[in-house]
Amino acid sequence: MHGRVKVKSTAQQEEEKRKEREKKLKVYLTVRDAIFKKRGNGELDDEALQLTQQLLSSNPDFATLWNYRREILLHLETIKEEEETQKLYEAELLFIESCLKMNPKSYGSWHHRGWVSSRLPRPDWTRELSLCDRCLSLDDRNFHCWDYRRLVVKASGVPVDQELQFTDRLIGSNFSNYSSWHYRSTLLPLLHPESGSEPASPCRKHTNTHTSPTASPQTHSHRVCEEQLLKEYELVQNAFFTDPNDQSAWFYYRWLLGRAEREELISCVYASREGERVAVAFSKPVNALAEGLMLVLDGQQQQVEWRSAHPRFRHSPVWLCELPPGSISDINNEHNLTVHWTEKHTHRDCALYTGRLESWCRDSATDQELFRSELSVEKTSVLQSELQSCTQLLELEPQNKWCVLTIILLMRALDPLGHEKETLAHFQTLKEVDPMRSSYYSDLCSKFMIENTILKMEYAEVRVFSLSDKNLSTLCHLDQLLLVTHINLSSNQLVTLPPQFSMLHCLEVLEADDNVIENLEGLYHLPKLEEVSLKNNQISKLSDLEPLASCPKLTRLDLRGNPVTKTANIQAELSQLLPSVTDLLL
Amino acid sequence: GTQIKDVVIKPDAPNTLLLDKHADYIAAYGSKKDDYEYTLSEYLRMSGIYWGLTVMDLMGQLHRMNREEIIDFIKSCQHDCGGFSASIGHDPHLLYTLSAVQILTLYDNVKAIDVDKVVDYVRGLQQEDGSFAGDKWGEIDTRFSFCAVATLALLGRLDAVDVDKAVEFVLSCMNFDGGFGCRPGSESHAGQIYCCTGFLSVTGQLHQVNADLLGWWLCERQLPSGGLNGRPEKLPDVCYSWWVLAALKIIGRIHWIDKAKLRTFILSCQDEETGGFADRPGDMVDPFHTLFGVAGLSLLGDEQIKPVNPVFCMPEDVLQRIGLQPDLLKTVEQTQLISQYLHLESVIYSV
Repeated sequence: MHGRVKVKSTAQQEEEKRKEREKKLKVYLTVRDAIFKKRGNGELDDEALQLTQQLLSSNPDFATLWNYRREILLHLETIKEEEETQKLYEAELLFIESCLKMNPKSYGSWHHRGWVSSRLPRPDWTRELSLCDRCLSLDDRNFHCWDYRRLVVKASGVPVDQELQFTDRLIGSNFSNYSSWHYRSTLLPLLHPESGSEPASPCRKHTNTHTSPTASPQTHSHRVCEEQLLKEYELVQNAFFTDPNDQSAWFYYRWLLGRAEREELISCVYASREGERVAVAFSKPVNALAEGLMLVLDGQQQQVEWRSAHPRFRHSPVWLCELPPGSISDINNEHNLTVHWTEKHTHRDCALYTGRLESWCRDSATDQELFRSELSVEKTSVLQSELQSCTQLLELEPQNKWCVLTIILLMRALDPLGHEKETLAHFQTLKEVDPMRSSYYSDLCSKFMIENTILKMEYAEVRVFSLSDKNLSTLCHLDQLLLVTHINLSSNQLVTLPPQFSMLHCLEVLEADDNVIENLEGLYHLPKLEEVSLKNNQISKLSDLEPLASCPKLTRLDLRGNPVTKTANIQAELSQLLPSVTDLLL
Repeated sequence: GTQIKDVVIKPDAPNTLLLDKHADYIAAYGSKKDDYEYTLSEYLRMSGIYWGLTVMDLMGQLHRMNREEIIDFIKSCQHDCGGFSASIGHDPHLLYTLSAVQILTLYDNVKAIDVDKVVDYVRGLQQEDGSFAGDKWGEIDTRFSFCAVATLALLGRLDAVDVDKAVEFVLSCMNFDGGFGCRPGSESHAGQIYCCTGFLSVTGQLHQVNADLLGWWLCERQLPSGGLNGRPEKLPDVCYSWWVLAALKIIGRIHWIDKAKLRTFILSCQDEETGGFADRPGDMVDPFHTLFGVAGLSLLGDEQIKPVNPVFCMPEDVLQRIGLQPDLLKTVEQTQLISQYLHLESVIYSV
């Protein structure tokens, strides 16, 4: 029951209503029982069509009645001439139209219309398309009608560019029309696909404009060529300069600015003589057990058991294994390792030289590849002018959160480190003008700060990672930190070290003082972890420390300023739980 | 500029949870069997019973419902093909097959029906492209993909269908905003997003979701009144409070909305006289919105209500009983649950 306002009424009114409903109920039950009886007797006739029509006009969600009608129609089809069948189905379309007028959002009516259209000997798709036009002119957000339109377009081969023009018209008359923007996002990549690897080349006009517009813009190649992109930017700017608070155009804009997904590849292979361990990082989460991962050592394929960094993950960007004992333990031997990802026809080599305890080989990931993630690789000049437009709009609308967020994204696309200070100030504004979503902004800001720190680390080529005092509310991109040996997370607002933290396979020292950490699930099987400092956090139970028991080298643990230190017998309990710790601070 | 569509919560709107009234409302609802409104909703009766029973169980009042009568009713709604209809005389459909299996799971009595036939029915509705038809008449919708895998998971028979193909189809319905629609090319809608994230949770494929992008779209559903809408530029509604909130919980982003404001909105949709929840303050109540109001409050952490599972919309203790733990993306929000779990473990060890 949606949108039915409760009205107060007198006792007399109530009584009248009750009587009326009683009458209606009687009629309903009589007709329904007659229908069920006829159906039970296998009667597929005009009378049954009449009876079901009577109920469906006001109860189009009674799906079984539509089913019965279809049975009848299918039967009549077999005994009638084509001309008569055509008439029969046209009458059915008229009836459905009257049902849609009463209730334009009934799944049953729309599905039945599609079914009838598919049975019509001579379907009239132009009429169906104009029905959609009329229906959408009454409610331009009716998703049932939009879906029916897509069915009609597909069945009758309406050209994609004609449908794009249709969205031009709707958006032209009302910018605030999310359904139309959505439709554009599915049409544009079909009409103006990005041409190959060179982003600057002119648009390759899609020759087959009759392709039906059904591809998914998220999972299929969904980029649009640059020439068209510039036109779209203009359209969207018109929209948000006209109505800066309308979210539809902003959502669409963020998509336009987005870029294709990262290539699937092995981003890093790491090998350690100690424990004879190998760690492999991928550009996206995979299930290595199902991916045909092959490890070759000095030309010999190895039988190894892959496991994800944490048992919680069936799909993970980091996978680990141990080589058979004695394979690489002798420091006087040189070894060559190759990991093949057979399904994706890609591999990565890693050489372990004499005298070295460990070795790795990885992508020299640039910021372009990694984190301009949300934004495109389009020419800097284009993004620069988009930023200018948004900055202009912000002067007119200083409280507009959509504009502020977009400016942040553009700044990151252009120069994430150079704009860091301004970005932080803009995040502050967002939290003030839109406090309901402040946690979203905090998490997004944390993500960007982590990305910036990773970029700086890449440039400096170090394995020490400092994120202290950055207002972090969440951790992400931990798969990028596979090689990090020292991490400092102190003075943030972290609540947890999540399971993903176990991807820091080389970690030796962890500092995470002055947070609100209550959970250490991610400190799981970190083979090199020696020192953990967790001063002034919210660890309250002994059981919260259990994950640490899986880190064999842990010798120093600082828990000062945590509620757990008040536990009775804490010293004895901890030495039992964590026997390797020799330096315990409580 | 565009006026934001929203409601105003009146100062005298209910602001405390009226659990007793809601339990009385649901208990009385099924006893008015000759009522006009009740009769007219027979085409969805099986789901109606699921809504009523689930909300009663969440409120710890399941014992007030007539177990024997309901189980007999369910049995009489199973057809030769294995599927269930909403009511006697109606045709079987995946929607009501899931509801029937959910009810029997609540009652810990799945053995009352022919499970193999249910599995056959669900399997028979999978199409070549991996999608599921709702029934033999062929309507395709990602809602039915969810119904199919949820039914099979509750029966422990997920292996009966081609899960990889099913996943492929659902992913082909993903949109530019990270959300999902009914079919490939359909607009994102919070109800479908709930179904599709639920589907990906059951099938262990949540890593395929662009959680940051989708989470942004979902948290933008919250309006100044605190209520959530199901699509941009629509009015808030208690049932969307559930679809959006459950989806956020599944993708580990529930903390991106203002929980206190949403709680205020949901509470204001109660009817103080009759009990029950409406879609919006001042509208007529019904069991559907009553379940999703109470379930939403449970996800928000109300301790007077049993914890609800965001994927199956059933009490967590029921799913624990059958050993079903669908994936959720991990967040700061779940720490409490996990530490409870670890604590439990340590209790077991110390014994």
